[in-house]
Amino acid sequence: MVLFLLKETGLFQGLLPTRDLLQVAAPWSPLATPPSFGLGHAWVGSFLVTGISLALAVPLGIGIGIFAAEIAPPAVARILQPALELLAGIPAVVYGFFGYVTFVKWYADWSGQPTGESLLAAGVVLAIMILPFIASTSAEALRTVYQDYREAALGLGVTEGCLFRRIVLIKALPGLAAAVALGLARALGETLAVLMLSGNTAAMPEGPLSRGQPLTALLATELGETAAGSPKYRMLFSAACLLLLAVLALNMGILALKRRFFEHLHD
Amino acid sequence: MTRPRPLDVLFRGLIWAAGIVGMALPVWIVGFLLVRGAGRLTWSFLVDHPRGYPPGTEGGILPAILGSAALILVGLVIAIPLGVGGGLYLAEFCPSKRLQSYARAAVEALAGVPSILYGLFGFACFVVFLRMGISLLAGGLVLGLVMLPILLITSQEAFAAVAAQYREATLSLGTDRSAWIFWVLLPKARVRILAGLVLAVGHAVGSAAPVLFTASVYFRRGGLHLDQPVMTLPTHLYFLVSEAISFDHAFATALVLVLGLAIFNGAAMALRHQMRDS
Repeated sequence: MVLFLLKETGLFQGLLPTRDLLQVAAPWSPLATPPSFGLGHAWVGSFLVTGISLALAVPLGIGIGIFAAEIAPPAVARILQPALELLAGIPAVVYGFFGYVTFVKWYADWSGQPTGESLLAAGVVLAIMILPFIASTSAEALRTVYQDYREAALGLGVTEGCLFRRIVLIKALPGLAAAVALGLARALGETLAVLMLSGNTAAMPEGPLSRGQPLTALLATELGETAAGSPKYRMLFSAACLLLLAVLALNMGILALKRRFFEHLHD
Repeated sequence: MTRPRPLDVLFRGLIWAAGIVGMALPVWIVGFLLVRGAGRLTWSFLVDHPRGYPPGTEGGILPAILGSAALILVGLVIAIPLGVGGGLYLAEFCPSKRLQSYARAAVEALAGVPSILYGLFGFACFVVFLRMGISLLAGGLVLGLVMLPILLITSQEAFAAVAAQYREATLSLGTDRSAWIFWVLLPKARVRILAGLVLAVGHAVGSAAPVLFTASVYFRRGGLHLDQPVMTLPTHLYFLVSEAISFDHAFATALVLVLGLAIFNGAAMALRHQMRDS
């Protein structure tokens, strides 16, 4: 199984361009002479979209996690669980379509522009997509801590609110961080929804309301029309390689956080 | 018990609001698709070919359904032996705990890799390097890779969950290891593996990014061939929307995908309940 990963990265590395990858300022204009392959706009797009989605999904997701773990009456929790599973099971392309006929259309109507694609729309839909993952991971972390400490703390006369703020939240912190990292990894790699909603314009975005082209959208747009082995092809694959590294690093971080969470639970 | 402080009440209210949003979002999304798509969703939509000009403005989505199903079948041909076999190895034969935990971490990392990267890998390895071209075979292999880590993780857990007493009882009867695996372990773990399989298939059916460059085309006639491209449900939806061909059909296609997956996941949940009962 490790070999699978090595094969994947190794293959990409065999195609790595020897030239400098990180021309952040250069524009993306593969048809110019000489062609220029700056990926700066794509990175900015990716981080903007991911940032927007996290800003929305993290408070809401952790809120839902707390609700599911502690406050929800059992009957409500029994509805919430399949509802979140349903949300997690909807394919990305359907989310993209949904965002297209709701947020994008609303923004177009409101602003009077012919089309309403924006990084903000992509970020909002992305937030809905990563919400169930953040919610269920944080609910699991909170539930584990709560079971361990609830009776001991309540037995000492600590109030519910104090128990929650002083004990549960602190003990569950690594678990909550793992939930956020999971959301970040998913948001960074999500393709279809941002491809359909971000506007897919290869220019440096001016703000959250402008159109842009996150890295995954760039890959999905350009790969189909790229000759294998050309400099552009190698550039796309090295960009993919960087994305892979980022996501793998995040996943390692999640594993480490989870391990820490379970080790420190009983200190 | 003292009276609750106002801050606590506010906090409680916010958390309730979050929970209600969490329950309302899926209802909103699915309800929206139902209201706008149900009118178009007829039997002939499911069993007819795309018609009209450009194709997709009339007719149905039969080739896309068949293409998605064929891709999954090809993918399962490699994902089932590798996934269940790998899970069996990790749970039963793995020589050291250390190797087991490293392999497990690697597979989990693989499961977290974004699907677009599977698509790029498939394009570079199968389509270009192995000269398969954009084809059912290449796309099926990529989807097999997408399903593999999910299947491996769930089958390892399924094998590990079979109680140790069974193992000792079976081996103490003087049977050899293969009899233990084929007559006790596999039947005992079957339901859980099946649930994992449903999960993996449900994930793979809906993902467009891995097959976008490896298997799918917007429209084609003729049957399914391993060396020919196919239409798939998620890419059909993508093309309908991004080329602004037909929003009516896009609603109906999205509805087919979501309802199909909901039925699939419902089956997985029913399996889990059956598992808990037995």
